[in-house]
Amino acid sequence: MSVMIRFDRASFIYDEDLPQEVHAVRDISLDVERAGHVAILGRNGSGKSTVARLVNALLLAKSGTIEVGGIEPVDDETVYLVRRQCGMVFQNPDNQIVGTTVEEDVAFGPENLGMPWERMQKAVTSALDAVGLNQLRTRAPHELSGGQKQKLAIAGALAMQPHCLILDEATAMLDPESAVEFLQLVEQLRERRGLTVLTITHNMEEALLADYVYVVDRGQIALSGTPSDVFDNAATILQLGLDVPRHIEIASEIARRTNQPLLPGEAFTFMDAVTAVESRLESFVSKGAGDRLYQTAKTIQTDVDKETPNDRDPEEILISVDHLSHAYDEKQPDVKSLDDVSFTVKRGELLGIVGHSGSGKSTLIQHLNALIRPPKGKVKVLGLDASENKNIKVIRRHLGLLFQYPEHQLFEETVAKDIAFGLGGEKLTQEEIDLRVEEAARNVGLDKALLDRSPFELSGGQKRRAAIAGILVMRPDVLVLDEPAAGLDPEGKRDILNDALLLQKQGVTILIVSHNMDDIARVADRLLVLNKGRVHQWGTPAEVFSDEVRLQQAGLEVPRSMRFLQAFEGIYPGIRTDLFRADLAALELLRAAAEASHGA
Amino acid sequence: MARKIMFGRYIQADSFIHRLDPRVKLAAAVFMMVVSLLSRQFWQIALVTLATGVFVYLAKVSLSDVLKSIRPILFLLIFAFLLNVFTGEGEPLVSFLGLTLTLDGLLTGIKTLFRLSLLVLNTTLFMTLTTTPILIADAMERVMSPLKRVKFPVHEMAMMMSIALRFVPTLLDEAQKIMKAQSARGADYDTGGPIKKAKGLVSILIPLFISAFRRADDLATAMEARCYSGGEGRTRFRVMKIQTSDVLFSIIVALVGIVVFVGPSFLKMAY
Repeated sequence: MSVMIRFDRASFIYDEDLPQEVHAVRDISLDVERAGHVAILGRNGSGKSTVARLVNALLLAKSGTIEVGGIEPVDDETVYLVRRQCGMVFQNPDNQIVGTTVEEDVAFGPENLGMPWERMQKAVTSALDAVGLNQLRTRAPHELSGGQKQKLAIAGALAMQPHCLILDEATAMLDPESAVEFLQLVEQLRERRGLTVLTITHNMEEALLADYVYVVDRGQIALSGTPSDVFDNAATILQLGLDVPRHIEIASEIARRTNQPLLPGEAFTFMDAVTAVESRLESFVSKGAGDRLYQTAKTIQTDVDKETPNDRDPEEILISVDHLSHAYDEKQPDVKSLDDVSFTVKRGELLGIVGHSGSGKSTLIQHLNALIRPPKGKVKVLGLDASENKNIKVIRRHLGLLFQYPEHQLFEETVAKDIAFGLGGEKLTQEEIDLRVEEAARNVGLDKALLDRSPFELSGGQKRRAAIAGILVMRPDVLVLDEPAAGLDPEGKRDILNDALLLQKQGVTILIVSHNMDDIARVADRLLVLNKGRVHQWGTPAEVFSDEVRLQQAGLEVPRSMRFLQAFEGIYPGIRTDLFRADLAALELLRAAAEASHGA
Repeated sequence: MARKIMFGRYIQADSFIHRLDPRVKLAAAVFMMVVSLLSRQFWQIALVTLATGVFVYLAKVSLSDVLKSIRPILFLLIFAFLLNVFTGEGEPLVSFLGLTLTLDGLLTGIKTLFRLSLLVLNTTLFMTLTTTPILIADAMERVMSPLKRVKFPVHEMAMMMSIALRFVPTLLDEAQKIMKAQSARGADYDTGGPIKKAKGLVSILIPLFISAFRRADDLATAMEARCYSGGEGRTRFRVMKIQTSDVLFSIIVALVGIVVFVGPSFLKMAY
């Protein structure tokens, strides 16, 4: 096996004056074998994207050496040779398409290489065939879906006949189905064409597909090894702001609580983890017989109960949607983006709205604050009809709506001014405004010191919080968040969802649109599953997930912690499966094991 | 909606005119412009009108779509017409308010009206209605390529044009998204005086500009990663080849020109 990419103590620092600068990399050494698949895993700002840029000679190492296919990029000519060998796919699907049609975009690289016309035509067609976009070759890029745009980016790279494909968070902005499809395509290309693949990601699912993983933190390699080696260190990985597969997390938690550490690689696959947990639980039960165990079981029981939301009494209904239908094009009333949708939201609850892309989620939430005007009598918010002009202002003040990537809408000179933007229409003194801004910032965990900064100096996660604060400042009764965790790394994701839970505790009613079942199951009291514009399922997470067949019809999967608990239903018939956090799932396993042994 | 704004004037069809080489259409547009301007006699104008009518027919676009292109210069047309009508020489037909209307003036006015309209109709027909903007940019690059020798950045201009066209729909979508997001935050773009409206615009334009810069930065990186380094040594995916139909069309246009230009002297010789 020969080496395709080699880093030998390579460093790149953007600004020499800042010793602790984010994104910089220091003394990184790594090897990627030809036709291998290596993942570089790290949180936002860890320097992982800098590594990608160094590989493709978009940046040149300040010290140390980097070789790609035996060539060290040092001058224009070698840089060109390196870039020729490496195709790159970036994060934002929109910002890497140059051509005004699909085929012209694919041809952009070959044009730059000076490829003769005849060969170029063949290269473009074969690249489009390889990613399955040949049917769409004369389309304009903005007519494509996000997933198709990323495939187009791969085709653009393939047409240059590279040896190596670098994916720089290429799936971060895709919905789960498109992401899976994209990764399958990459794997297929790697096998068929012997491409070397380097994946830069914060998503552990992608790291699992690799042969070898480097975990980068603060510009240095914190861990490396096969995925199995790396995920043995579940605790370290979680500390680095990353995520581990749910079954490994639960198994590690059981191992910790039963004081029986996991062996290397013992819980790597789902079935491995089930076996590992079974053996831990068995010896846990056999060792601690009698009262002690039963006592433990009882305390665990209370732990679990405390953490699960109680069913609320039927209270005031804040939002009611009544047989709402909507067609995008008035000329085609049969093509409906919403079809006879009805549901209600009670004060103080957290409702998850889930479904495939194109299921009507975004259209639905825009009806709630009349950005899309509903027909008369169909949507009522706080008892007000959203179809009436006079109600719109009031509704918008009481129902805050935040779109995906809300940080792109920040515009004022300081964070404080931006947060206060929504107060423009109200008669408040400057002091009152300041108080409101501080309150809103506090509610999303935004440091007061940041309020005087420009919003553009903040990190990605901070910007998103500032944007949420810009809604909270109006003290809305209802907060609607469209994919609030999109594009954030696992830690940022956890933080945002925890913020949502905290707000709910303060009495804010929250609607979260999401296509991540693991995330939404953890926080939602009730779920509304949309499929092709219709209400597919409607109930508590436990109710919705109990009908797995129906859920799969909507293209959705049961959360992974639930799937893990279900594997134990045969052994512990009384086990609850509707727990969506690894620690709670572990507690429930211990409780079920103890109960089973006490009963026996 | 985004496309309606930008390419609303390009009418998709598969016609003889649509299929012509954009360079030929560019040349034809310029040529017909000159021919329309230089037509002085009624028969000349009639001939050019007839030719234009045939082109419209060949382009398979509706007459109303073609005539719409006059709307932006309607005011100019009326002004030019009135100016000619009231400044003509010869016997006054009517006079009022100190203005005199003469038969001569009336005829010149009508001629001017036709010449200007034909000028606009021909350029719109060949350029905007039947040729996509990207093809126009491409044709311009090729026609202007000799200017590269005097260091005029022909390739860069064409690349700029093409990227602009590529991102217009993206940025329009984005503007709409930002507007919605700010509306959700209580911004009101419909009511209030001009100052309030201008302020409202700021809350859309600043994020839009920032996003445009971010996109520009990303795109530049992506282009570099795909080995882009200017026009030097680049080959082209889209080739332009002169077909038989292009030659045929050029001959027809040239004939119209010859008849219009040489016709008068030929007639003189005949007398």
